[in-house]
Amino acid sequence: MPARTIDAEFFNARVPNGRRWLLWFLYKVLWRTVFGLVIGLRYVRAEAPHPDGPVIYIANHNSHLDAMSLMTIVPSHRIHLTHSVAAQDFFGRSRFRSWSMKHLVNAVLISRGKEERDEVDPIVLLDAMLRQGHSLILFPEGTRGVPGVMADFKRGVGHLASRHPDIPVIPVYLDGLYRTLPKGRTLIVPFGGTLVMGDPLLFPAETSIDAITEKARLAIESMAEDLLDENKIPSSDSP
Amino acid sequence: MNKLIEVWSVNAEVQWVIFIILCILVCSSVAWNVWNFLKPGGLVNELLVRTRSWWIMCACFVATTLAHPVVTVIGLAFLSFALLREMYPLLNLDQRERNVALLCYAVIPVQYALAYHGMTTLFLAFIPVFMFVAIPFMLVIRGETKGIVRSISLMPYSLVAWVYGMSHLAMLFNLPELPGFTAGPQGLLLYFIFLVGINDVLQFAWGKIIGQRAVLPNVSPNKTWEGLVGGVLSVTLIAVALRFLTPLETWEAAFTGFCVALAGFMGDAIASGIKRDLGIKNSGNAIPGHGGYLDRLDGFATAAAPFFHLIYFFGVTAAG
Repeated sequence: MPARTIDAEFFNARVPNGRRWLLWFLYKVLWRTVFGLVIGLRYVRAEAPHPDGPVIYIANHNSHLDAMSLMTIVPSHRIHLTHSVAAQDFFGRSRFRSWSMKHLVNAVLISRGKEERDEVDPIVLLDAMLRQGHSLILFPEGTRGVPGVMADFKRGVGHLASRHPDIPVIPVYLDGLYRTLPKGRTLIVPFGGTLVMGDPLLFPAETSIDAITEKARLAIESMAEDLLDENKIPSSDSP
Repeated sequence: MNKLIEVWSVNAEVQWVIFIILCILVCSSVAWNVWNFLKPGGLVNELLVRTRSWWIMCACFVATTLAHPVVTVIGLAFLSFALLREMYPLLNLDQRERNVALLCYAVIPVQYALAYHGMTTLFLAFIPVFMFVAIPFMLVIRGETKGIVRSISLMPYSLVAWVYGMSHLAMLFNLPELPGFTAGPQGLLLYFIFLVGINDVLQFAWGKIIGQRAVLPNVSPNKTWEGLVGGVLSVTLIAVALRFLTPLETWEAAFTGFCVALAGFMGDAIASGIKRDLGIKNSGNAIPGHGGYLDRLDGFATAAAPFFHLIYFFGVTAAG
């Protein structure tokens, strides 16, 4: 029973209180301040109440800062129960990286490629985590990709949401953080950005995996369009 | 021991202006809430949001001004930084122009340190002479000239407008001792903040009440001749009334108020023009009801340098 081994490994030890406070301080205090005052991230509708219990956050992905910014909007009492889903092949490359991903980002590392999957399907692991009441942060594009362009979604979010019709999916649109920390750079140069939190989506039990994936993608795309329109000068105004 | 916040040693003039600011805020809050209670609507809602933001802005400004000069200067430097940071994403800089943007950010602490330590010559020359050459050159040595005209013009411009201009307020701490002038640099700073703030409010108010003809219909349709003239005249009067915060005579204060109000309007108009060309309404949402830092501070940054030079001319040079 592969799923059981993973459960045991991941959850049997409760998240220690120390790490809980560390995560709270890191994200609700430190990163929130850095995003607000230094980087200049605009939070749009991020104060909207989150549903109680486990949640799947999904967002478009262009920068390493994306996961950090999403952790800052998670309610304080669930911060230690919220895990970014990150790639084993990239973040597990060195011991330092995997240590900091586990302790400082609270991430869960999964393998991306089919060939390198050992015994456990990542979906089984994530599914088990949701059942245990944990929240997940997913980047369904699977990679940071081209700045400002949204790639096709992988079907992982569809798999998870179809198994948990009671767990809401919160789409989040992130714009501009790729300017602050682009792919392949290590230096943060503050360039602003926007984080828009969308309304929670609930999918009835019989919705197909592809339909969920597509709807999730459309939700983020429409948020991107709304954001563009919101700050345009109305055409009646222009000369 | 150095006190970081010297609230207890606030002089009488500064106490007066804080009292006036409080009165205005309380009165307007009460008025809008009563209006909202009697007849809710779009305009009064906007006024309520704006007034709430003014409360926070005034609290920040007053607290930073009353604190130790180091805190004040750091606060001003942060405002410069916030302005640049709001501008640069709008320019769609490419990856390698990030390094130049980083250089521009790095200019801010240097410029404010020069101001704080009163190194006048270097302070006056650092950005408009040295950085004016260094930044275009940094852009050129990337070896990529596509779209370079935009960044060569706007990056030094934004430094001059929002860092160089604003840093003159930090220079107020280095004015020589003036006979018979007791309000000090904090008084001058509050005088300036008050004038620019009330200028925005009054131009908005006059425009809403009697505004008919637009000044710049193609740039900013909300600015009217009535608002401009009404605003500038009222600010001139207020500048005279508050001149106990300054070393100025009556007519000097009137002229200073007139210039500050006009410069505030000009800064507003310039920022509107830039935003319009970039196709955006507001530069951000940091200040509810107002927009981003740029939407609120454009007039503030533009009027700062003229204000400093007028004070210096009337208070120091002309007074002998």
